[in-house]
Amino acid sequence: MSYILHLLILLSIYSVLSLSLNLLVGYTGLFSLAHAAFYGIGAYITTLLMVKASWGFFPALVVAILGAILLSLIVAIPSLRLRGDYFVLATLGFQTIIFYILYNWVGLTNGPYGIPGIPRPKFLGFEINSIFAYSVFSIFLSGICLLLLWRICMSPFGRTLKAIRDDEIAASALGKNIYRFKALAFALSGAFASVSGALFASYMRYIDPTSFTLMETVFILSAVLIGGAGNIKGPIIGTMFVILLPEVLRFLQIPDTIAPNVRQILYGLLILILMRLRPQGLGGEYKLQ
Amino acid sequence: MVAQLFANGLATGSLYALSALGFGLIYNTTRVFHIAYGAVYTIAAYLLFALLSRYGIPLGIAFLIALILTILLGILIDIYIYQPLLCQGSSFLIVMISSLSIYIITVNIIVLIFGNEIKVLRSGIAKTFTLGQVILSDIQILQIAALAFIFFTLVFFLKWTNLGKIIRAMRDNPDLLSLMGIDLQKIRWLVFGLGSLLAGLAAMLQALDVGIDPHIGMSAVLTAAVAVIIGGVGIFEAPAFGGLLLGVLQSMVIWKASGRWQEAITFALLIFFLLFKPEGIFGQRRRLEEK
Repeated sequence: MSYILHLLILLSIYSVLSLSLNLLVGYTGLFSLAHAAFYGIGAYITTLLMVKASWGFFPALVVAILGAILLSLIVAIPSLRLRGDYFVLATLGFQTIIFYILYNWVGLTNGPYGIPGIPRPKFLGFEINSIFAYSVFSIFLSGICLLLLWRICMSPFGRTLKAIRDDEIAASALGKNIYRFKALAFALSGAFASVSGALFASYMRYIDPTSFTLMETVFILSAVLIGGAGNIKGPIIGTMFVILLPEVLRFLQIPDTIAPNVRQILYGLLILILMRLRPQGLGGEYKLQ
Repeated sequence: MVAQLFANGLATGSLYALSALGFGLIYNTTRVFHIAYGAVYTIAAYLLFALLSRYGIPLGIAFLIALILTILLGILIDIYIYQPLLCQGSSFLIVMISSLSIYIITVNIIVLIFGNEIKVLRSGIAKTFTLGQVILSDIQILQIAALAFIFFTLVFFLKWTNLGKIIRAMRDNPDLLSLMGIDLQKIRWLVFGLGSLLAGLAAMLQALDVGIDPHIGMSAVLTAAVAVIIGGVGIFEAPAFGGLLLGVLQSMVIWKASGRWQEAITFALLIFFLLFKPEGIFGQRRRLEEK
């Protein structure tokens, strides 16, 4: 039972991650490779404020969101001047640099040793200790994020993003400030990723920088690509797929030592086939331009 | 100390330069962002390792066999992965993602076969040579010599031979080239073959120098891509300077800060160039409409 709850928590964390990345990749057409950096910044700011300054979870979360917004603007403002593969490379560069800052700034982040003993959040005066309570909390918080993301995607703002994705010149001819919309999309996407980071940190009670590498970005991205970008249901399908596939492999009796590699090979093959035959993914609607 | 660090940087920089020349050759002519270049790189190193340690083939012959297989692999990736996508008119992003998938699949297969740990190909102490204040190992000297040889051969090939001219023409205008009755398909094979050859060469030199693990390909391809951009996209010789610059800078970081910042400095330099000099060191500033 607690195992199923664990999966539910992971699903709730990763569906916010993949939907927030989808806001960039699927809605705005910005193929960013820096998502794990925002996720990591959210996790680290929350953790540091809770462990070193003994703040509560919610004030720490607010600061984490603000921090992630600031960081995403730092990434977005220069990167958005570039297009095509230069843009992808620039975001990848930021991802790597942020990882190395988390990894090498031992005085603040404890570097590769990570930070243990992260307290569980308190909500309305009572501490969320059991895994059942945490799963309810996590689903509740992620649910709010998903609802907000859904509202954003359906709003005129979301439609403008889609218009920019499909035809930038037409959108700017209609008086939309392309640059500002893209930067806003970046900020929103980073903000939601940081909420996932805060949830992840307080759930695991231990974080270290290796959870926020380029490969983590690729993992979140594979959820978006397998499920499909450009609508709400695509990334959700993808998240379920990438989180639940390991469990299917467990039933097939694949030994634990090679399971992670078999899993990655399967993701890779699936993406390769999808890109060839169905670039919009299993349930998406945007064929990456 | 500084001179020694500089020399070490030059030796690693030569490796970066070699793989960057190959990546640049492919990128400048076909515009494929070839992340699977990292897969080719890793496979080349592991082929050499397998031939040496599992089948006991002498180094020279193992080197040649691995190089030929690497070239074939590069061409096969173009035929079976990139060509069908281009025929469908897929966007560059789809090509890039497919390339990334190939890389991920390859690395994990290599982990399954060879395991995750570092493999060392040469045991014992390497022979060293002292040049003034600087001590270099035999393999480091070989790296620098290999770059010098490849660089001048490549420049000669591109400048003075007919095929080289065709490759330069393909960079400038592939459509026009096929109108002249030249089979672009065959030129692509040549370009992917040559690029993979350079990747294989760099990978095997790295394998002999510092050893290998299954994840060397990613940093190799990213460093190569950064070197291409720093040098200047569209110029076939420029990646060599980009690679050398990265090697020396990474080495100097050890002097000023610490080795842990080596990878970060690569990307800091990339972002600096993308923002302030996107055309690279040797590139000409172009108007947006020309790109």
